[in-house]
Amino acid sequence: MTELVATTDGASGTASTVTRHHEPWLSRRYTLEVRQHMPWHRQVLVLLLAVVAGLLVSGAILVAAGVPAGELFQEFVIATIFDAQSLQAVLFQASPMIMVGLAAAIAFRARFWNLGLEGQMVWGAIGATAMSIFEIGPPALRLTFMLCVAAACGLLWALGPALLKLHLGVNEIIATLMLNYIAGNFLLHLLYGAWKDPQSAFPHSPQFRGFERLPEFLGASGAAITLALIAMLLAWWLVKLSRAGLYLRFVDANPDVAHATGVPANRMMLLAVLVSGALAGVAGFLVAAGQEGRLTQAFHHGYGFSGILIAFLARNHPIAATAVALLIATLFVAGRSLQVFYQVPFSMVQLIQAIIVVCVASSDFFIRYRLRRVSPA
Amino acid sequence: MELIGHWIASIPDFAVPYALAALGLILTERAGVLSLGAEGLMLMGALVAIGMQLTLGSTLVSLTLSMLAASLVSVLFAAMVVWLRVHQVIAGLVLVFFCQGLSSLLGTLLGWTSVPVTAQGPVALWPLSELPLIGGLFVQNPVALLTPFIFLAVAWFLQHSGTGLKWRAVGENPQAADAAGIPVSAYRFVAVLAGAALVGLAGAYISLLSTKLWIAGMTGGRGWIAVGLVIFARWSPWKALAGAVLFGCVEALIPQLAAAGVQLPQYFVLMTPYAITLGVMIWVALGRRVGVHAQPGALGEPYVREERR
Repeated sequence: MTELVATTDGASGTASTVTRHHEPWLSRRYTLEVRQHMPWHRQVLVLLLAVVAGLLVSGAILVAAGVPAGELFQEFVIATIFDAQSLQAVLFQASPMIMVGLAAAIAFRARFWNLGLEGQMVWGAIGATAMSIFEIGPPALRLTFMLCVAAACGLLWALGPALLKLHLGVNEIIATLMLNYIAGNFLLHLLYGAWKDPQSAFPHSPQFRGFERLPEFLGASGAAITLALIAMLLAWWLVKLSRAGLYLRFVDANPDVAHATGVPANRMMLLAVLVSGALAGVAGFLVAAGQEGRLTQAFHHGYGFSGILIAFLARNHPIAATAVALLIATLFVAGRSLQVFYQVPFSMVQLIQAIIVVCVASSDFFIRYRLRRVSPA
Repeated sequence: MELIGHWIASIPDFAVPYALAALGLILTERAGVLSLGAEGLMLMGALVAIGMQLTLGSTLVSLTLSMLAASLVSVLFAAMVVWLRVHQVIAGLVLVFFCQGLSSLLGTLLGWTSVPVTAQGPVALWPLSELPLIGGLFVQNPVALLTPFIFLAVAWFLQHSGTGLKWRAVGENPQAADAAGIPVSAYRFVAVLAGAALVGLAGAYISLLSTKLWIAGMTGGRGWIAVGLVIFARWSPWKALAGAVLFGCVEALIPQLAAAGVQLPQYFVLMTPYAITLGVMIWVALGRRVGVHAQPGALGEPYVREERR
């Protein structure tokens, strides 16, 4: 079906006649075009719309799961952010989140899919706990020792897959994931065996002593969140200001050219992965010495996935990762209260994270491409 | 001797989920879509199989619906990678998170968690089932007995049918396939859904035919092991079957050793599948230095007509 439409040509003011086709929707043909550039404020708008869409879908699922719709806003926004105690809980939860987010972001900048954050966290916490159990180092320096050993343990657990990828081309996704399961089972081996709490006979390690716990100032989470912010600044320096960061961007943009111009790509990748492992190890230390006060069975669950999602949503930018980590921590805290008050299983939090990432990942499409209708020939 | 008989008879229970999941992944990846979502799809298959068994009570219907459910959730993945060109690693990981969350949410809300079910039991393939020592291998549930034929069908389809040729062309060189008039996106979309159905069946096997109940996260990384198995098998169905049988042999050995009174440290035993996967990956990498590179040419690359690479 064709009709004639008169339009006015704005520049000259003369009327011209064009033919426009009205076809059934399904038979229209579209083609994809690669966009050259989209101004950053429109990119941010698209991103925000995507996050809002994700939250709306998640809200609908929560309502379907039996949470009264009116309570949702109250629970998530008012009770979590504008309540001093909940804000404390969010900051408390955020510090290890920031660490794993930074860890993932730095590894991803080197095009290394470090899915082994949880395993590296486990080893970090095991290393820190070993310092406590075997009473290594004077009490005044114990906490520092625990921090350093945790970083070293995480780093070493990341070293294996990094070397395997560099020298043998072993797929790091599978290698790091398998190491997670191995670390998790080793943790259980310790907690059900030699490291079981002798006082309560529960499968967790004995309580840390007072000087082995992160000090509290400016509220309960002071030291942990300070450490996380220091890590953020260091990571920002590493990826934005240091020579290594420049090299990494170069490698990321075009590995072949980077290699041809003499960028030590392999060494940079190794460096990034080791820093990533060390950060994840420190995250394990933060949970053990900051939150739990001991080594527990399942403390690492969910952090690996959250770290990856944080890095993805933040596009591997350290400061953005910190902001996203705060959001995810809010989600965790709100999720926990939903679990208590409405019997919504905690897996809901994971589902919401996934939905938000689906929306953001899909919105990327509109930033990178444009759909254009093919004019009928 | 009796112990060896028991061991051989229990191998398929461990091997079939790996085999079916790996076959599903090969089917998807041969069309050029890197599929990391197996762990999540297996969970969905496992949940739906138990849920349908509890509500409808027919094993065949439950298995079919679990395959459909896995295909249905993978529409999300297919839309992301085929239409929206989302990075395939990210999309695959998100699919896993999504299914982990969704399956345990549904399992809890619908009350399907930790409820034992009864399902179709083993069928004896007389006279093979009367053979000494290996007779137990032929007393299996119908899915295990059908698995070799499923492999035969998929391998024949990929290697010898006309559609299979186009399927592989889309995975090797989508530009050329497009130029030859093959609808690349449609093939990839179907490849994701078809592969997901097999992966879902693998999950359903674990819950409905093997464990006979649903627990959140019950696949315990077997989907990831299947992803590793595909790399080990170099995207060849028969090698994947061999790898799955190898894994099944090792895993089936552990309970038999325990039954024979061999004391093993429990958590180190639980590590073995993951440690073996890692070992196999290293072994394959050592071999790849001299061998051929069998990965589909366009694996993991989204296809956009306008982008010339």
